[in-house]
Amino acid sequence: MISLQNVTKTYRNGVTALEDVSIEIEKGEFVFVVGPSGSGKSTTLRLLLREEEPTSGQVYVAGKNVVRLSALGGIPKLRRNIGCVFQDFKLLQDKTVFENVSFALEVIGKPKHVIDGRVPEILDYVGLGEKLNNYPDELSGGEQQRVSIARACVNRPLVLLADEPTGNLDPNTSVDIMRLLDKVNKIGTTVVMATHDQAIVDAMRKRVIELDKGKIVRDQSRGVYS
Amino acid sequence: MRRIEFYFRETAAGIRRNGIMAFAAISTAFIALFLFGLALLIAREINLVIEQVTGNVEVAVYLSDPVKPEIVADLQQRLQDLPAVATVTYEDKAAACARAHEIFKSNPAIVENVPCETYPASLRITLADTSQYQQIPAALSCQTDANGQATCNEPGVLKVLDYRDVLDRLSAITRVLRNGVLFIAVIMLVSATVLVANTLRMGMFARRKEIGIMRLVGATNWRIRVPFLIEGLVEALVGAGLAIVTLFLGKVFLVDQLRTQVLWIPLVRNSDVLGVAPLILIAACGVAVVAGTIGIRRFLDV
Repeated sequence: MISLQNVTKTYRNGVTALEDVSIEIEKGEFVFVVGPSGSGKSTTLRLLLREEEPTSGQVYVAGKNVVRLSALGGIPKLRRNIGCVFQDFKLLQDKTVFENVSFALEVIGKPKHVIDGRVPEILDYVGLGEKLNNYPDELSGGEQQRVSIARACVNRPLVLLADEPTGNLDPNTSVDIMRLLDKVNKIGTTVVMATHDQAIVDAMRKRVIELDKGKIVRDQSRGVYS
Repeated sequence: MRRIEFYFRETAAGIRRNGIMAFAAISTAFIALFLFGLALLIAREINLVIEQVTGNVEVAVYLSDPVKPEIVADLQQRLQDLPAVATVTYEDKAAACARAHEIFKSNPAIVENVPCETYPASLRITLADTSQYQQIPAALSCQTDANGQATCNEPGVLKVLDYRDVLDRLSAITRVLRNGVLFIAVIMLVSATVLVANTLRMGMFARRKEIGIMRLVGATNWRIRVPFLIEGLVEALVGAGLAIVTLFLGKVFLVDQLRTQVLWIPLVRNSDVLGVAPLILIAACGVAVVAGTIGIRRFLDV
């Protein structure tokens, strides 16, 4: 599903974020990417989204070489197959829960009957079926993250990328969010999650890839944080 | 259908959110397009005056009394054969009299006291090539004296009158006036374009979070840009609409008031303003296209 082959990424300011990194992730896997700040976690996710291009090496997502995709059609198409969840939720404050999720379908041109069918369905799935018409600032942090997960999943992506999704949440809420991500993974979505949260990584017992200064220092199935 | 609805909802939201900037862009576009239209109408007005004064004739050959039809026919044929001449038309005394009465409509003293026989018949010539004007006096064996007055030996010809001088002066005035207004209009059009572009850019900046999400979920570039392009087009077209309305109002309240007072000058009509309207709309579209290209360039990258 995801394949990085000898990827090196050097930013224009000379910083090398990743150095000769190779990762293979199978369809339906749940993978933690851990490591200190600046170890290259975010760069890895940005390469998968094709927000950055590797300086050398190849990146494949869902069988496509993302380096070769065109900005006109290829990159948008890639991103329709990838859901994204962030630490700061990235919700639109002037839109309701329903509108935040439907926005993701609307801007890729899905017809109204698809939107009206899928949006309540996915919000029900993440446990927010009762809060369709609330605005983000009326929700708790955990609920806001559920909205953002709903938005990431509403188009039924093959891959879900999560960048510190529990970074702003208290431990109990974090556990709820992890249960939800696990649920999303169980229905076949490949999940890649970058995190600092030791407790969560230890509790989940999933594959762990540890990065340090742009290199893989550990790749362990059913691993713990360190 | 759904896509069009999406575009227009986004556009309307953008203009509302960006109110003051949109207002500035619309008013600049309005002033620029108004001046642009005004320049075109001034040019049209001066053309009308030229047409009236000269009947678009560049050279007139006045005929001496009594006018003999066979001489007229002969002269007409010979003039027509000159390479410099485009058209030759014969204006008899009655027609000359009618035209004079038209010109001096507001001056009854002239109309009443000058009898119709006084106006000479003439052959009115338009030139194919104005620089070869000399062919005409040469063909009629005229000599120009020190005062610039041409006396002709050709039987039946009274004198040859060259309107080119008048025409030159009139068109010089036209040029200065029209170019002056056009110059200001161009400057205004440029600033309108920059303002519209800036409005679009500020709109994109205000909505950078939305745009970021659109990119993440895989919206295409055009899906992201089109609402902004429509916004620019709407602003330019609203400005154009206001400019056209203002020109019409100016025509009704200023030009039409003059119509009863200065009778000898032909004034622009509604049809002239209507003729300028499409040009204003085209200029507005040009402003929108250029502004759109500049305004969204920074956000072209995926």
